[in-house]
Amino acid sequence: MNVATMPSKAQPKLRLRNVSKEYVAPRTGQRTLAVSDFTLDVRAGEFLCIVGPSGCGKSTVLNMIAGLDQPTGGDIEMDGHHVRGPGAERGVMFQDYALFPWKSVRDNVGFGLRHGTPGAGLTAAERNDRVNHFVNMVGLAGAEAKFPHQLSGGMKQRVALARLLANGPDVLLMDEPLGALDAQTRMVLQVELLRIWGEAAEEGDRKTVVFITHGIDEAVFLADRVVVMSSHPGRVSAVIDIDIPRPRRESIRSEPRFGQLTDEIWSLIRDEAYQAIA
Amino acid sequence: MTTATQTSRIAQLPPAVKAVTLPALLIVVWQIWAMTLPETSPAPAPAKVVQSFIELTASGDLVWSTLQSLGRVLAGFCVALVLGLSLGVLMGASRAVRENLDPIIESFRPIAPMAILPIAILWFGTGTPAALTIVAYAAFFPLLVNTVYGVSRVDRQLVRAAQTMGVNRLRTIATVIVPAAVPSVLLGSRLAMGVAWTAIIAAELAVGAKSGGGTSGGIGQMMFVFYAYSIDLNGIVVCMIVVGVIALMIDRLFRVAEHRLLPWRN
Ligand SMILES: Nc1ncnc2c1ncn2[C@@H]1O[C@H](COP(=O)(O)OP(=O)(O)OP(=O)(O)O)[C@@H](O)[C@H]1O
Ligand SMILES: [Mg+2]
Repeated sequence: MNVATMPSKAQPKLRLRNVSKEYVAPRTGQRTLAVSDFTLDVRAGEFLCIVGPSGCGKSTVLNMIAGLDQPTGGDIEMDGHHVRGPGAERGVMFQDYALFPWKSVRDNVGFGLRHGTPGAGLTAAERNDRVNHFVNMVGLAGAEAKFPHQLSGGMKQRVALARLLANGPDVLLMDEPLGALDAQTRMVLQVELLRIWGEAAEEGDRKTVVFITHGIDEAVFLADRVVVMSSHPGRVSAVIDIDIPRPRRESIRSEPRFGQLTDEIWSLIRDEAYQAIA
Repeated sequence: MTTATQTSRIAQLPPAVKAVTLPALLIVVWQIWAMTLPETSPAPAPAKVVQSFIELTASGDLVWSTLQSLGRVLAGFCVALVLGLSLGVLMGASRAVRENLDPIIESFRPIAPMAILPIAILWFGTGTPAALTIVAYAAFFPLLVNTVYGVSRVDRQLVRAAQTMGVNRLRTIATVIVPAAVPSVLLGSRLAMGVAWTAIIAAELAVGAKSGGGTSGGIGQMMFVFYAYSIDLNGIVVCMIVVGVIALMIDRLFRVAEHRLLPWRN
């Protein structure tokens, strides 16, 4: 690594400057301004959550960071380099899971290791170990040979999570990754996710996470900062620092500060949430 | 009430019984009708058909002709498979290729395989190469069209997922696009095999008409000989039944293959 690409302390991991995204329907030419003037820095090693009403552009922002969609305005950088397209250093967990229907659980989790850059330099045995490790971690031991159509929604979501983690990306882009899970499993995996992210490690050794959720309490439990988005068009309406110390235990959920922050965020999006369904 | 219970009783019969009941009934009716005709009548009758079948099998003619036709179908199908798949993947994956080739393909597609027979005969004579060309031509279109469809309808989100895992373009085609297209390709193969079998019979009938029989063989030509030279309607019916049964067997084989190859589909 030369000096130019070395991430300096001051440099954010991700930098979104005045990013906008306008969709144009191919036939009708109808334009939808999904995201407008979105500016945000994500620090290296930060756990950032995005909340906002349905349809406000959260997935759109995530897909642009992933390099899957190009912004129609503004610029996105990672480590100071313009994001041109997708890459394994920015792993994505899709809202609709995007599992390969013809691959078993095991082969879905091992897909990137087998066919993509994350598996470079690993022996078959090492890949296998890694797949097993993450399959076990998400509680899917025993279901390795099943195909996606044989899994429940929550199981599919856990396969997608294991697949993302197995590829060991530097930046984890997660689109409502725990939404389909029951409350207990979700809480277990939240704690597990914090561990994998590196909550116990030095700040410099942590991965960078951008995590979309509908659960305000989930955002407060996990995040260093919570971005609240407003819709039509999608913008940053507030950024809330979550000043709850780490490592976070289950018990913090009952602390007054947790309740305060949850209420504060809820009051920020309440009006829009009501508008959205009115 | 009674009709309801009757239908449900019929519905409860094993499928094999249901499949043979109606044909058996028709054969009985046919035989009764045939017995009212004078002994010299050329009209086919079940008993005579069975006799003819035994004779043709014993002489080896039927087996040999059938195998020859089947061999041509398989060879022609393989040619169509290679061409249809490779072109189909190219057309499905690249819009430029698709838009350039589509008009050509679509203008050839409605031309019946029989319509290219004159050219095939002029170029290749009346033997196996001409028959093979007809079969390949007939089987090519269902394979191509279904491959293009399968490839172009691949869930884009899966391609995107592969890209975020650092899978390069070529590897994405091999590991995402091709497997996702397999169900369509299998469907195309099944349809292609059906039309290939139809085409070979028709081609052999027609080629037989030109050469006057003997050299090119095949079950279609056997039918032509029965028709034009010996006027043996029972022999023709034997051939028709063999053709039908083989078509059915090929179709069932494909269904088994589908089941084996696609364990991930319900
Ligand atoms: N491919 C597309 N073409 C046209 N419009 C689109 C497209 N994708 C998204 N949109 C529009 O962009 C807006 C934002 O969509 P997006 O999927 O980013 O919302 P979201 O915040 O992720 O919603 P949810 O919480 O329901 O997942 C919506 O109004 C949606 O209709
Ligand atoms: Mg979304």
